[in-house]
Amino acid sequence: MAVLEVKDLNVSYMTKKRPPFHAVKDANLTIDAGEIVGLVGESGSGKSTLGTAVLRLLDPPGTITSGQVIFDGKDITRASEDEIRPLRWAEMSTVFQSSMNALNPVVNIGKQFKDVIEAHTNMTEREIERRTAELLEMVNIDPSFSRFYAHELSGGMKQRVAIALALALQPRFVLLDEPTTGLDVVVQQAILDNVKRIQKEFGFAVLMISHDLGAIMEIADRVAVMYQGQLVDDQPARDLLLRPKHPYSRVLIGSYEDLWQPASGSAAEDASSDASGQPITRAFGGKAPVDIAARHGMDADETRMLGMDDLQAIAEATAQDPAVVRAPAEASAHEAVMVIENISKHYTRRRGLTKTRVDAVSDVSFTLRKGYITALVGQSGSGKTTIGRLITGIEKPDSGSILFGEQRVDQFARRDLKEYRRHVQLVFQDPYSALNPAHTIVHTLTRPLANFMDVSGRAARQRVAEMLEQVGLTPAEQFIDKYPHQLSGGQRQRVVVARALLSEPEIVIADEPTSMLDVTIRAEILEILNRLVRDKGIAMLYITHDLLSARALADEILVLNKGRIVEGGDANQVISEPQHDYTRLLLSSIPNPFAEGLVAD
Amino acid sequence: MAMQEGRTFGLETAAEDLAPEPYDTGKRTRFKVPNGLAIMWANRKSRTGLILLALFVVVGIFAPWIAPYDPRAGIFMPLAPPSGENWLGTTQLGEDVYSQLIYGTRTSLIVGILAGGLATIIGLIIGMIAGYAGGWVDEVLSFFINVFLVIPTLPLMITFAAYSPIKGVTTVIIVIGVTGWAWGARVKRSQMMSLRERDYITAAIFSGEPMWRIVFREILPNMTSLIVAGYIGAAGAAIGAEAGLAFIGVGDPLTISWGTMLYWADNSGALLTGQWGWLIPPGLALALLITALTLVNFGVDAISNPHLREE
Repeated sequence: MAVLEVKDLNVSYMTKKRPPFHAVKDANLTIDAGEIVGLVGESGSGKSTLGTAVLRLLDPPGTITSGQVIFDGKDITRASEDEIRPLRWAEMSTVFQSSMNALNPVVNIGKQFKDVIEAHTNMTEREIERRTAELLEMVNIDPSFSRFYAHELSGGMKQRVAIALALALQPRFVLLDEPTTGLDVVVQQAILDNVKRIQKEFGFAVLMISHDLGAIMEIADRVAVMYQGQLVDDQPARDLLLRPKHPYSRVLIGSYEDLWQPASGSAAEDASSDASGQPITRAFGGKAPVDIAARHGMDADETRMLGMDDLQAIAEATAQDPAVVRAPAEASAHEAVMVIENISKHYTRRRGLTKTRVDAVSDVSFTLRKGYITALVGQSGSGKTTIGRLITGIEKPDSGSILFGEQRVDQFARRDLKEYRRHVQLVFQDPYSALNPAHTIVHTLTRPLANFMDVSGRAARQRVAEMLEQVGLTPAEQFIDKYPHQLSGGQRQRVVVARALLSEPEIVIADEPTSMLDVTIRAEILEILNRLVRDKGIAMLYITHDLLSARALADEILVLNKGRIVEGGDANQVISEPQHDYTRLLLSSIPNPFAEGLVAD
Repeated sequence: MAMQEGRTFGLETAAEDLAPEPYDTGKRTRFKVPNGLAIMWANRKSRTGLILLALFVVVGIFAPWIAPYDPRAGIFMPLAPPSGENWLGTTQLGEDVYSQLIYGTRTSLIVGILAGGLATIIGLIIGMIAGYAGGWVDEVLSFFINVFLVIPTLPLMITFAAYSPIKGVTTVIIVIGVTGWAWGARVKRSQMMSLRERDYITAAIFSGEPMWRIVFREILPNMTSLIVAGYIGAAGAAIGAEAGLAFIGVGDPLTISWGTMLYWADNSGALLTGQWGWLIPPGLALALLITALTLVNFGVDAISNPHLREE
């Protein structure tokens, strides 16, 4: 029996000033009792709007313009707040991406469970305590943790508490909106396993929204795909993998499938052939629609605006497009730019009377080479960002040395640092905070030229335009005078890459440069980084938690765990023959939607 | 005023994180971004405030043409009740109250603009330096900010004003500016500390930007709405403070302002003799002007926080 039925639902954001924005168009979706349904789509596709509309949590200016939401046989589309309130939490509850931050910071965990249970049931104090303990155990958290406050728990634990809290009253329907986004793979895996197990036990229905097809495939029975406000595909998970109906689903699945195709290491191409404008990559292959689109002179955002026919054509074109295979470059062929030897860094935390020592980085050594990409892979808290900070000179190591040419970066004075920064540039994670919203692109990009290269005025503008063309923002004149808010996330990230390259650095540090971007744009940004770094002979340190993208881009992978490098070597080899348990754990935590599907074939 | 600023500050960062999807899809929705004034005009509260404020400004500028008589000319019968000739009656010296009310607008606006500006500038400089520099510089400056926050402002102002060698509007402006900057400094310091951590500031450092450029060219433009909101709040507070000082009698009793009108009205027992036309209009005008400024600030809030926009 259907717990939730959505019939011809339309949701618009209506404002007086702007034309109405139709976020959800004629959506039809049915969720049966005890069924897990996944909803995928890129950001802006309307999936979260659909989710909030179903729960009747839409804020103005968002309104349901037509259609029906039927919960448990009852039409709640126009039900009043008073009618809905008893249903919330008791019958339908939700876990948002930021739910972990929604825990009350001044009340301990146990009290928050108590508040929820008290508000909806007549349980006694003792019963509530027992129920809280059960709920926490359900998500693999020791009941003694109910004394703790939110800030004393890790991100993954907080999210699990949020899930337990959502299930406190045994609802019949739970909406999970990006429940694991922002958590690293190992934690994500643990949470998804939890949800799967609890769901089996209690049999509630789940609608899980995510941009990450892998995470969805991990638990969903059925998957719906959303594209530009429309539900374009809706079928059992396995069928979707094998027979995607809509071109967009095909494109989406394609970009994941490629991640799992083993890289061929036999083609001993050297780096120079990549420089000739051939698209990489072993991992993203030719199937990302953006690659094809780029070759037709379009950018990803235009691709997203394509009609269905175009997508169809692109999907077909890609199907015949052989993936270009590139083998990792040989390390010895590349000149060393930076040599890092046995660096360590620890922090001391004082909490109450006790001091704890945190070893952020212990005895780490590696070398950055010209035109060569080194990936530093690890979970959050593994010390990979600290290593980045040590290399840029923002922080100094406790011991060990960082040699840039003949210079000791770890002994730089303030004045040396300023000069040094010209040679080491950063690519940031969040394109939305990496560009000053108050300045135009050309202003932001001419600053490094003026400061480091002594180029200004028309010459600087010329250089900026050339660089924009190189990162694929063509024609440059169309972008150069814009403000960051006028650009999409992918375009902003290209500007960020352009800025890093303008001072002609020897080293570029890219800290998770794609993790905030849509799957389809990620391949593009990696492609640009790959091409430019090899073209210009820059040494790149690619910091990421994502082993697969590291394989796609890097020549060498270093796996970092608790501040130590546990494994390192040729990118392909680390992935295909992991030696260390931790590497295996990381690999096995990456959702692989194709494992089952391929066997079934 | 403090509340107002605090609110703006708190929500500004939140707004960026929580912007609803359809607004940040960038290129796909080719919306023209409305400029500041349009957003303020779209907000009903702030539109009311802007109209009211414009009214006061017009009255202030054109006072000589609007006022029927010279406000200093004691040519009428003293302490007369409202009549066709003197709409709001006359003072103890036989001056026209209505004309004084009109001219008083000038004083209030000037004090608001200048004293509010002075307090904002002092607060901005101290707050920005404390927030950006951090370390011992921050410790020292924060100490001064805190001292000025805990000293009761009114007695301090009275003391300054009473002992100042020259009396006049300038003294009042300086006294208000020097005593009223601390809240603004505190708010700007925290905003600075939050903006300093943004990636684009790190990026600017890596673009080789010197410190002064980072503070004034990278960070300052992103604080504009906060500064404007702070300024408007400070102006309102300054107008109130001027009236308060004048009413107590520590201002210059010869200046024509709403405060001195109330001072003289009180001295002449206007309340007892039932001269409502001398007492109520200046008070009402004060309340209206400060309300207008507060309402305008709702619009400034809406600029920094899209969630508060009325569209």
